[in-house]
Amino acid sequence: MTEKMKIDRRSLLLAGAATLPTMAFAQTGNQPSALTVAPASQSGLGPRLTMHAIDTFHGTPGAGMKCDLEVFESGAYRRISSFETAATGRTQEPLLVDDALKAGRYQLLMHFEAYFAKYGVKLPSPNFYSIVPIRFVIQDVTQRYHLPVLFSPWGYSYYRGS
Amino acid sequence: MAGITTHILDTNLGRPISGVRIEFSRKEGEAWKLVKTVATNADGRTDGPILKGDDAAVGEYELVFRISEIFRAKATAGDPPAFIDDPVVRFSIFDVKQHYHVPMLCAPGSFTTYRGS
Repeated sequence: MTEKMKIDRRSLLLAGAATLPTMAFAQTGNQPSALTVAPASQSGLGPRLTMHAIDTFHGTPGAGMKCDLEVFESGAYRRISSFETAATGRTQEPLLVDDALKAGRYQLLMHFEAYFAKYGVKLPSPNFYSIVPIRFVIQDVTQRYHLPVLFSPWGYSYYRGS
Repeated sequence: MAGITTHILDTNLGRPISGVRIEFSRKEGEAWKLVKTVATNADGRTDGPILKGDDAAVGEYELVFRISEIFRAKATAGDPPAFIDDPVVRFSIFDVKQHYHVPMLCAPGSFTTYRGS
């Protein structure tokens, strides 16, 4: 983020705070950083699984979300990897790529409660959502699968993206 | 009315989905214990609450929506299986005096849930 953008963002927040009820900003301390670049197209890339965490509470990428990827095998989910999302809400590398992309039933465990706690959002205890399983199917390993997850403390969506 | 209810809607058709099996479990220690299996009626809801207010206790709960068999039955030959698999929603009751409406909106490639009212 450039210095000018930081200043613009702060000015906007201050302007907002002056005109909107304080509730709108009082709930959260350090905000996740806003997106500053347009999303890159993944069109034409080879078979892979990618994801994107989008924080609809702050209107920012879901940066620093702890996630665990698991695959369903012999009646139980087996852990493949654990990672944190980057500043873009995505991961540096695909979750699975080329030969590692296998057909099957998967779940991405997303640590919602820890994420919002990190940004100082006041939540009930126990929180409505803690570790959220996002379940999905990879059927055709010649295709590219993108998994966007839109989330707030009180709801979430996921879908097959592109 | 406190307790837990749900509502299942097909966002492709804009219609409720009937006959969806829902497995309702409660977390006991580290394990999920199945409390009961219910099914949605013609309105996409269950005939009674999934959990009555009187039975509500602070803790973690789980709803598994067996939707993939419904999509499979409606699919035409060659359609891929539903991307969303059988979605599961895990949530906590943090105040037994409140009601927890947990709707699920879905299509084969998309799933949404939220704390409704």
